[in-house]
Amino acid sequence: MADLGYYKMHALIVDDFENFRGTLYKMLMDLGIGNADSAASGEEALRFCKARSYDLILCDNNLGKGKSGQQVLEELRTTDNPCSDSLFILVSAESSKGIILAAYDYEPDAYLAKPINPKALDQRLSRLIEQRVELKAVRAAQKAGDDELAIKHCKELVAKGSRYANTCQKLLGQLYLAKNDVAAAEEVYRAVLDNRELEWAQLGMVKTKLAQNDLIGAQQWLENILQANPLCMKAYDLQADLFKLQNDTEKLQSVLQKATDISPLSILRQQALGNVAQQNNDLLTAANALKRAVKLGEHSCFDRADVHSLFAQATIDLYSVDKESAKPLVREAISCVNSLEENFGKTSLRKVESLLLESQLQVCAGDQRRAQEALASAQSSFGDNKDASALPIQIEMVRALRLLGKEDEAQQRLNDLLQRYASDEDQLQRLDVLLDEPRSEKNKLMVAEINKKGIASYNAKDFAGAAEAFKTALQKLPNHIGLRLNYVQAMIDKLKTRFDLGVNERIQQTFTKTNAIISQQHPQYQRYRQLNDVYNNLVRAYEKDKRG
Amino acid sequence: MNPSIKQKSDNTEYGNVPIDFSFVLASSVHDMKNSLGMLLNTLSAMMENSPPRDADQARFFSTLEYEAARINGELVQLLSLYRMDEQTMMVVIDEHHTIDIIEEQVARNDSLLKSRHIEIQVDCDIDLIWYFDHELVGGVLNNLIVNCARYCRKQLLVSATEESGFLCISVADDGQGYPDNMLLGPLPQGSVSFGSGNTRLGLLFARKVLELHKSKKGQGYMTIANDGPLGGGILKLYLP
Repeated sequence: MADLGYYKMHALIVDDFENFRGTLYKMLMDLGIGNADSAASGEEALRFCKARSYDLILCDNNLGKGKSGQQVLEELRTTDNPCSDSLFILVSAESSKGIILAAYDYEPDAYLAKPINPKALDQRLSRLIEQRVELKAVRAAQKAGDDELAIKHCKELVAKGSRYANTCQKLLGQLYLAKNDVAAAEEVYRAVLDNRELEWAQLGMVKTKLAQNDLIGAQQWLENILQANPLCMKAYDLQADLFKLQNDTEKLQSVLQKATDISPLSILRQQALGNVAQQNNDLLTAANALKRAVKLGEHSCFDRADVHSLFAQATIDLYSVDKESAKPLVREAISCVNSLEENFGKTSLRKVESLLLESQLQVCAGDQRRAQEALASAQSSFGDNKDASALPIQIEMVRALRLLGKEDEAQQRLNDLLQRYASDEDQLQRLDVLLDEPRSEKNKLMVAEINKKGIASYNAKDFAGAAEAFKTALQKLPNHIGLRLNYVQAMIDKLKTRFDLGVNERIQQTFTKTNAIISQQHPQYQRYRQLNDVYNNLVRAYEKDKRG
Repeated sequence: MNPSIKQKSDNTEYGNVPIDFSFVLASSVHDMKNSLGMLLNTLSAMMENSPPRDADQARFFSTLEYEAARINGELVQLLSLYRMDEQTMMVVIDEHHTIDIIEEQVARNDSLLKSRHIEIQVDCDIDLIWYFDHELVGGVLNNLIVNCARYCRKQLLVSATEESGFLCISVADDGQGYPDNMLLGPLPQGSVSFGSGNTRLGLLFARKVLELHKSKKGQGYMTIANDGPLGGGILKLYLP
């Protein structure tokens, strides 16, 4: 075999068992690897990888407490460090497929199943290095940002019948897509598919169709892939992209739900599911997905502070419509907001935010005393901050004051804010979330349009369509009573045509929420009472019917 | 925890749920596999710390290693069959060099072959590329090699060629050949006999893996015969 330069290589072994590190170390030395360091945890490995570059990283996936091997890989590939393109071999006691299923976009260069023997390691390593050597020029061009040159090298390798022509085709497709030469990318994928229906080329076709804005074409390719392989996570991700382009949040939620059911360990998908469910006002799904995202974030480089805050907010919102479902989440949400600063760094605004969220969550937990305490210390920390950047915190403050029953103080703060930002359209848009009637031009227009569309559907007896239209506004304007009642009315008519338990539950939730925000002086109060009566009669009739 | 085993007990009370035995079995197989991994690691560390003093001891070690590897192989197959049954088995067919998969499995069984003084020969064009799921076909090939290592005298031949549009990987040995009941009729139709001492799980697994490989030309299959080039049995895997 050609000289692969083992003696020049510096390797890193990552395993939580000392025994195993020793065995692997000896194996590498016997193979003639120049140098090897060992780390006992993912965290230690990442420290090593920041300090120097390694040619090869052999990392066990199951590292006990702390980061997993997959999380180490994700962090190395997504952050700036000297090992971002080191050869990475993921070692595992289980079959590699289970890990692939959990993973997101980041795949190691190779999987190696335990037990490892020297011959097998040598065989795998020599193939990987051979490939690295063959593709060296391509990688160098890519790293230097010269995609044209990378393409040229790839083409040359394919033309000369390289052993790694297949890898070059994959790279070519990616390179063409990256520089938006969609026709060339399509040509690469079509040529492969003429010969054989390979999944990566089919996925490539989906990407070219998306790039050409041919959404129907993309959908057809996706259906083919998922029919042949219902576990293809990359297809679910592209399907999600497609629904995002179509602005279809219901379908987006359902595809993310499916993907997270199959592969619950992907943090990015759980975050996405939580976000879209929150937009869809499906608070139970949102709160649970966000809870999982927070948990998965513990050791992940993809963890984000806003996901933690959103989990707390979703729990609080859920509590306002469905106390029973929210209860099991409250304790975890409290501990999540309490450790916000510890996890994401201390800033004065973050401190106030976490206290405000805590005070609302303590109300949910039934602890008025703690709720008041948290609110008081939030107010004293916040002081008289008039920074525009603090507006989201001001909004959270109004929410907390309302939930703690301090209506007057909430109203006064809100009035101050409305006055201060009276001529600032952007800030007014944000404040609309607290208002019954929006003040910003954009949201006024939105309400008008949605009402027009919803009422047209309603008059055409398309109650589902009407409910859908009104609902889209509810997340942006949760305190808009008129929209809320329009939504309920459409849903009640939907319930009349068929008594669906899911619809029934949504109506109940909306009434609970409306009841909490409407006052008897409100101009629509009469309408609210009437709708409530209609609904109660409907439920009574249904139950009577069921009994007998 | 393994993500691809369905969490059926989620949010339900244990008392009311009938036991899903295959799920219980799969979870426990998963645990067993982890333990076995530890056992194998400890075994190899032990062999390193105190190398065998004589031929007898070397044989003991090799038996321990062989039996543990066999259990490991069986457990992997069990889990895979469970996933195929639950339709949570992922199959990724891509282009591979046939020689790589063969050399990988030969390397994996290096110490087993050495300790049994078996000479293994590989006959495959280094440029022969084909389309298959690398991990699944690798698993089948591994079982075949382990199995043949047990029944052959001193020689094994693994070869790969293209035969009328199919890739044919064959494993031939110089042993007594396969018993008649394995040659006759179609391969096990899911019938696993516990009485004979050989559950034929390996063959069932191989058949399932081959069935998962389909193209316009047809689907994968295998043949077993006793007129092999080394005088013993020969098993051929055909992949479209």
